[in-house]
Amino acid sequence: MTVAAGALTKSGGIRTWLAPFVARPIALVGLAVLIAVLILAAAAPLLAPYNPDAYDALIRLSPPNALHWFGTDQLGRDTLSRVIYSSRMALLVGVGVVVFALLTGVPIGVFSALFPRLGHVLMRIVDVLMAFPSLLLALVLIVILGPSVANSIIAIGAGFLTTTTRIVYGLTLRLKTETYVEASRSMGSRTGWLVHKHILPNLISPLLVQASFVFAFAQLSAASLDFLGLGAPPDIPSWGNMLAESRNFITRAPWLLFFPGMMIVLTAFALNLVGDALRDRLDPRFREMLGRKI
Amino acid sequence: MHFVLGLLRRCLVVIATALLLTANANAAGGTLRYAAVSEPAPLDVMLTTAGVSLVIGMHIFEALYTIDSHYEPQPMLAEGEKLDDGGKTIVITLRQGVHFHNGKEMTSEDVVASLQRWAKYGVRGKLLFVDGASSEATGKYEVTIKLPEPNGAWKNLLAHLEGGPAIYPSEIASKATDQPIAQADYIGTGPYMFKEWRPNRYIEIVRFDGYDARTNPGDGYSGKRVANFDAIRFFPVPDVGTRVSGIQAGDYDYAETISGDLYDQLSSDTSVKVVKAGAPLFGLFFTNSKAGILKDNYKLRRAIEMAFCREDALRVSFGPQALWNAQGSIFPPGNFWYSTAGTDKYNECDPVGAKALAKEAGYDGTPIRLLTSTNYQTHYDQATVFVKQMAAAGINVQMIVVDWATLLKMRGQPEQWDIFVTHHGGPPDPILLTFLNDGYPGWWTSPEITAAKKEFTSTADLTLRKKVWDHIQELYYEQVPAMKVGDAYSYDIMSPKVDNLVSPLFWPVFFNASFK
Amino acid sequence: MWSYVFKRAGATALTLVAASVIIFAFIHLIPGDPIYIRLGDMATPDQVDAVRHSLGLDRPILIQYLSWVSDALHGDLGQSIFYQMPIMSVIADHAETSLLLASITMTWVLLIGVPIGMISAMRHGTWLDQVLSGAAMLMASVPTFWVGLYMILIFAAWLGWLPSSGYPSIFDDGGLANLRYLLLPSLTLAAPNAALILRLTRASMLDVSREDYVRTARAKGIRPWQVVTRHIFRNALLAVVSAFGFTFAALLSEAVVTETVFALPGIGRLVVQSIMQRDYPVIQGVVLVIVVLYLLVNLIVDLSYRMLDPRVELQ
Repeated sequence: MTVAAGALTKSGGIRTWLAPFVARPIALVGLAVLIAVLILAAAAPLLAPYNPDAYDALIRLSPPNALHWFGTDQLGRDTLSRVIYSSRMALLVGVGVVVFALLTGVPIGVFSALFPRLGHVLMRIVDVLMAFPSLLLALVLIVILGPSVANSIIAIGAGFLTTTTRIVYGLTLRLKTETYVEASRSMGSRTGWLVHKHILPNLISPLLVQASFVFAFAQLSAASLDFLGLGAPPDIPSWGNMLAESRNFITRAPWLLFFPGMMIVLTAFALNLVGDALRDRLDPRFREMLGRKI
Repeated sequence: MHFVLGLLRRCLVVIATALLLTANANAAGGTLRYAAVSEPAPLDVMLTTAGVSLVIGMHIFEALYTIDSHYEPQPMLAEGEKLDDGGKTIVITLRQGVHFHNGKEMTSEDVVASLQRWAKYGVRGKLLFVDGASSEATGKYEVTIKLPEPNGAWKNLLAHLEGGPAIYPSEIASKATDQPIAQADYIGTGPYMFKEWRPNRYIEIVRFDGYDARTNPGDGYSGKRVANFDAIRFFPVPDVGTRVSGIQAGDYDYAETISGDLYDQLSSDTSVKVVKAGAPLFGLFFTNSKAGILKDNYKLRRAIEMAFCREDALRVSFGPQALWNAQGSIFPPGNFWYSTAGTDKYNECDPVGAKALAKEAGYDGTPIRLLTSTNYQTHYDQATVFVKQMAAAGINVQMIVVDWATLLKMRGQPEQWDIFVTHHGGPPDPILLTFLNDGYPGWWTSPEITAAKKEFTSTADLTLRKKVWDHIQELYYEQVPAMKVGDAYSYDIMSPKVDNLVSPLFWPVFFNASFK
Repeated sequence: MWSYVFKRAGATALTLVAASVIIFAFIHLIPGDPIYIRLGDMATPDQVDAVRHSLGLDRPILIQYLSWVSDALHGDLGQSIFYQMPIMSVIADHAETSLLLASITMTWVLLIGVPIGMISAMRHGTWLDQVLSGAAMLMASVPTFWVGLYMILIFAAWLGWLPSSGYPSIFDDGGLANLRYLLLPSLTLAAPNAALILRLTRASMLDVSREDYVRTARAKGIRPWQVVTRHIFRNALLAVVSAFGFTFAALLSEAVVTETVFALPGIGRLVVQSIMQRDYPVIQGVVLVIVVLYLLVNLIVDLSYRMLDPRVELQ
């Protein structure tokens, strides 16, 4: 089973990365949304009209008005300011989960593929973990570890650890059998060099696609955990926490759930669009391994 | 395989019963559908203080006494009593002709077996049955309780079903241990009997046709009880929004514990009726008397109390002013135990004075650990406001937010926390208050309170007891074993179809109520 | 072939043993205690300790594990600390809701996902494809509980068309009409899963249409719709069916948030509630059942894949 060598060439310059967005203009919208969220997070203190934690019991649950564009919550805090500040948590959790999944999945996957004897055992363990539904795993982990931002990242990340490991394992196995890798191997090059020179560079683009999907799913998982009261500590503004806190007021203040919910949808949608566009540029044989069951 | 078999078997059973029951589906009383906040703990009311269990248990089980609409104890299964020996001997005569759901007549044998089980394992049993106390049958319809010291609260203790002395048949009570009795043994004397518990679907209780009601008119929980509904189903509906929508959509007839913010809106909504609780609940911030920075440091505790502004905490957690009252007496105005002693220290709302007092107490900015849970939104909202107010007074409070099960475990470990948040309702007698129980986390023990408690229980004279209670409340504000947030009136909603509802004293009850 | 079947079955059994150890160890790492919840807020720590002892929860973990496993092998998962009922019957009762909810959801998923996925693939690259794929992306990005809460508000509270919550069994009064209780929850759950199946159908059809035999068929002049139905769709179906199996299995537990919103007596809610109440035997039992189910689906999909698809060589 050989793959056209052209599709496996190392990622090129900026033009290679822009190509998917040119081919699919809607992906540009996704990119724009992501940049907007990034700006919200970075410039939150400048953009937010109020301190997100300042409460005022006298103006609780006001509908959107000139002073509070998105209304106020049950403590009288400004919803717009909290939505803006929450983008920080969204990025932190998303990046955290991606980094966690990559830092654990890549070494385990590459190692298992290169050293089949021990690797086989490792992959069996991954299989066992795969048998646990990811949300269930996250639930149990978060209750064990206790609610904190770092722990939500670990709990959500654990579900993606297994899928990432599987993907890296499969990709590395394929790369290993590629003729040119075989060739360099027979010339006596060391494993470290092989990994550095041939495997990792070729993993970058498929992992980037995987990362964007993990990022998107992490948003939804984090929101679900927050909603069940098992996510980030409630004093930290996050879209999921905002939803969890305002759902009791849905009949009284339905708008409270609208804005944080929309932000989750937009962010996850944008990430999915970008990931999809990137995937279309991938080698078809890699493509089928990604984004099926995340 | 078990699923399939289970489903098949259930399918057959249902078809069989459907064939048997044909016409009787739409009988007079109908089925009341109750939306509860959660699944209950086991219904063995002696062993639990969990709310939903009590609501259901109130219909199945009865005790010797119960309370009337003025929160005064009145006989229920008892007919009357005679005190001897300065209150150390209590002779209770029982009503005759009362039957259990299994058809057996209730006699003194059942009462004694139940009281003994309660004394040994009941959550509140030790409050009455201290070492050396006993109960025995002195006639078919007569029970004698002997106490080493008189206990002024005895009747209230025998009337309160929460972790209290429900009367079970003797064969069930005498074999029962500290484990809840089995579902098949949920047999009491109440107007409804237990039918089935379908996990996460509903619990159903049905009218007990052999119920022997008292003849005196109903007043609060006391007097004549009539089961008008054929059945009552209790559905667990955890989401408050869903409970409200469920009433509006006609899926439920009664929904408990609705958030305060919907009060104004629902009060003016003609499709629902608002049912306000008779007695307030109050949030309590317990302080740790066993370990940590607050142990024995009464001055620092008073500084914290001084900086705690109640209006804000109550408004954010309960909403409209109609639902709360920032007042410092442990018992609400109008209650016999209402007292203003010490309450000048309640809600001073003085961050400047608090800062000075904390300094005087030697406070150096060490973080004070506040343990709270998000399972109760009100706890969390109050804690959030509290932390902000403390910061304004230079007191550094750090929140530890865990889920409720973890909190219950952690609060038992003195080195884990300095303050924890919970809420309770006012019991019929002060002695049932948790902060007076030195085994309850917080562990308030000081020579002053120990002496006061002894004095409080050793007499049955109400005027004297009230005087001692004033003193205890003063001590409470001096040593701050807990901080009462304020009175909050929870409320339920129901469909306008429900008529003649008995005003809920502690829990809603549905005897005497009916559909229009 | 048979040796492969045995090998896979053996591996599945080993995985199950490993999983049971993990389940048990994890669950006993959870802080908190079922007894506190059962006794209620006003019980003291001493009372709790006494009850814990008589339940045997203070025995060494290894002993507790071995007795759990040996009972489980006899088909007995023990008693629920809360319900005081055999866990098997508690699970069976919740399984009805979960199986029905998953089945109805998967019906929507198939009705929406497969045809639209096919259209998208046949019109590959056109604006229609772009719009449909974009819509699928959007559906996959919406938190289910958020939609669920608004659905209850609109269809139950405001319009009064459908029940807001709960689900009485179809074996109880009301019979099959009770399925209307599952309409809103199943639609809520269907959206993101339909999106996944839609995208999968589209992708596999595109993959298959690039295969040699399809090109040959086209070259032979077989009419386009026949190529699609006879060759492309039938082969693409294989991938869809396997994904279908996994989605179905995943739905049983991943529906937890939806079940919480709609107060449904399903498996997911049973797990979360048992975690919150620390009802250890129930959590262990349910997770074990979910894992067994997942492994079975895995095994079946794997074996059928190998039997149906001639291109996959047996190792």
